[in-house]
This record gives sequence, structure tokens and C-alpha cells, in this order.
Amino acid sequence: MASLSTTSLSFKAPIQSTTTNISCDFKTSSSFQSISFGRFQSSKRIRLQISCAAKPETVQKVSDIVKEQLALSADTALTAESKFSALGADSLDTVEIVMALEEKFDISVEETDAQNITTIQEAADLIEDLTVGYISFSGSYDWMRQLTEAVPL
Amino acid sequence: MRISVMSQMQRSFSIDLPSLIPLQLPSRRHTHLWYVIPDEVKSTSLLKRYSQLLSQTEKDGVDQMRGDELKKNALLARTLVRTTVARYQTNKEVDPRSLMFKKNVYGKPEVDWQNCKNCNHQPLHFNISHTDSLIACGVTVHVPVGIDVEDKERKIKHDVLAFAKRFYSADEVNFLATIPDPEAQRKEFIKLWTLKEAYVKALGKGFSAAPFNTFTIQSIPGTEEGYSLCKTSEVTADPLEETKKCNGEWKFAPLELADSHYAAVCIEDDQANEGAPMRVIVRKTIPFVEDQLISERIFL
Repeated sequence: MASLSTTSLSFKAPIQSTTTNISCDFKTSSSFQSISFGRFQSSKRIRLQISCAAKPETVQKVSDIVKEQLALSADTALTAESKFSALGADSLDTVEIVMALEEKFDISVEETDAQNITTIQEAADLIEDLTVGYISFSGSYDWMRQLTEAVPL
Repeated sequence: MRISVMSQMQRSFSIDLPSLIPLQLPSRRHTHLWYVIPDEVKSTSLLKRYSQLLSQTEKDGVDQMRGDELKKNALLARTLVRTTVARYQTNKEVDPRSLMFKKNVYGKPEVDWQNCKNCNHQPLHFNISHTDSLIACGVTVHVPVGIDVEDKERKIKHDVLAFAKRFYSADEVNFLATIPDPEAQRKEFIKLWTLKEAYVKALGKGFSAAPFNTFTIQSIPGTEEGYSLCKTSEVTADPLEETKKCNGEWKFAPLELADSHYAAVCIEDDQANEGAPMRVIVRKTIPFVEDQLISERIFL
């Protein structure tokens, strides 16, 4: 179930990883990033995408995988902002990195998402996004409308 | 056939760059493929001249690369594009610095003729690709072109068939699965990658427009190097009913460059030239220094 208050949204979902609750604070100020809704299927499961910074340990794990794929030395300084292309990755490298991330985090990345990852941060965000899981709800799409009305965009 | 302009270089000094030797545009159905081997460009003064050709945005892009080798290769890539496109300017000499580039709505780089002072608008298309050890640029007229190069020895970190199952089409997986030797299988995987990349880049609409598992590139029976593209329609409940649409709209030329790389060129077929074979002229170059004709190949 999901609950929405004026300042925070938190949700639990059945997922296979160890991550359980993720809460992101929404503020009315400009620090709020974006909220977008995935496609609806007839089963009324929706995927909620929220831009929050990924956990440092996720960023670290992604960095390790990138270093291995691109054969970088262990002491290469990588930050969350590091761009794959600046490290010498081509499209085949990017796809291999995505495959390694899928294996490591037990997730499944859609091809369009796979090609859009350009930095370590983006990869980490996608991983966290996918490990949050799905919200199931029954009822009409009024729930959706309430959500969009309550949260300023 | 080598053309050397070293004497011209020695005469002109730092301020003015030497003249570029002009080139005739490719004719329809011809692709000109140019490549540079970074290891053959060692002169720091030459590299400095190259950096003078770049726009500020391009220079920033080069600076963003991590490490000297990546910076050098990024510089060579932009230099190759600018000097090559400039040389095809007929009627007048165009300073490669004056060329402007833009991206189409999907992000594919193209020449911005309108904003280039002193340029003649030309129906010229180009595409680049590079690895650590080779940088290539393909040029066509009237039809879009896509190229891709890969190091022959490139090792795939994952199991090749697992990788193919994840990203390639079912028919391509079946083809790769028939190859018993792992090394031969890896090579075919790489060749197929270059062909698929070349197609997506020729299409110019980004990867989302043509996910790798939605099309099959397969060799044409009875030919050694003929390849055709078949699109798999949406997967139906019964995989046996998956229909394929194979058309001749896209032509492919698989090549090897410098004994070290697989390359693929893909062009959109020009209806006006129905039936005519595709021709690829390969030349190695060091901008401002020399050109070397490598081969002229015909692909049916």
C-alpha cells in the first residue's frame, strides 16, 4: 500500500532484494526533482519513478563493475558523475556493463534504458529504481489523480 | 598510391595550416571509408595543429576524456571528420575550422551547412566510429551512412551466447549457436555487432528506434559477404508465427581494416540505383600528411 502525505511519500513493495522501504522527501521548493509515471498495463500495476540520489554503496558497486569492464586500474578515481564515454566506453562496453549490473543486482533493464545510461550516477539510479519494485493497487485511476494533484510538479 | 604533402607542411609554419588536398565526392552507391591509426600520429607539433582546428565545444569534449590516450583519440576523431568533410568541398578551398556541426533530433551528428560561412551545401553524409587503435570516418552522398569498427581481438566479458540471447534476435542466436569453436563464435559475434551497429547508426534515430533484438542481419545464401536485414515483427504468442520482413532497403559491407579490425558499412539503398552494387573505397590517412589507397571493394 502507498500512503501520501504532504511532505513525504513512502511505500513498501514486494521485492526480491534486501531493500525494503525507500522514502524520498518531497518539498515544495525547487529541490524537488521530477516524478513520472510508467506505462499502465491492464493489471493496474504502475511503476513509480522518483529521482532521488542513489545510495553510496550502490554507486560504489557500479564503479567497481565499470572499472572491471573498462579495465581501469583499481586506483582510478571515479565519481558518480563520471561519464562512461569519458572513460573510453563504447556502446558494446555500455551493454556489457548493463549486463553485469543485471547479474549483480538481479534486475532486468529495458533496452531503451540500457542505451540511455551515460554516467555512474544514472546507472545507480536505475538500479535503485528497479529494486524498489512495484506498487499494486486496486481501484480506479482516481488514486493516480490524487497523487498528481497532491504533489507539485 | 601515396600522396605526401610533407614539403608543404615544412614551408608553412605555425600560424597557417597547410592546404588540404581536395577530394572528389563519392558517386552514388559509393562509400569512402577513411581511417587513422593513432599510433602512427606521434608528432606533438602535428597534434597541436590539429587541436587548432577544433571548435570550443569539441576542445571541451577532448578535455573531458580521462587520460592522454583517450584525449589524443578524441582529438584525432574530430580532426578526421573536419579535414575529410572540408576536402570534399568542390569549387573552393574550405578551412576545416569553419565547418559547423549539429545533431539531428535523435542525436546523430551531421554537417550544419547553413551556419557554415563559405561552404557550399552538399548532399554529403558522414559517420564515425573508433576503437583504441583505429578511427574511421565513412562518407556518402545522397544516402545516410553508418559505420562501426571493432578490434578483432576484443574479448567479451560475458558468455557470448548468453550475451546474444540477451540482446540479439532469435535467428542470430541460432546462427551463433551453430558455431562450435568458441573463438570463431566470438569473432562472428563481433562481426554481427559491427553490422548491427552500422545499421542503427545509418538509420540515425537512436537505439530506441531499432532495438537489437528487433532485427536480424544474416548472410545472403550463395554470397560470401552479402548481408541482408530482416525485421522481426512483434513477438506473437506462438514464436513459430513470428513473421519477418526482409527488404533490400539497406546495404551492408563487412570489411577488415589494417588486419586488426572488423568494420561494417551500412547505407540506405538509393532507389535510383536499383541493382547496382555497393562500392567501398578504403583509404588510410594522416590529415595534412598523407593518404594511402588501401582497397576498392564491391558488394552485391
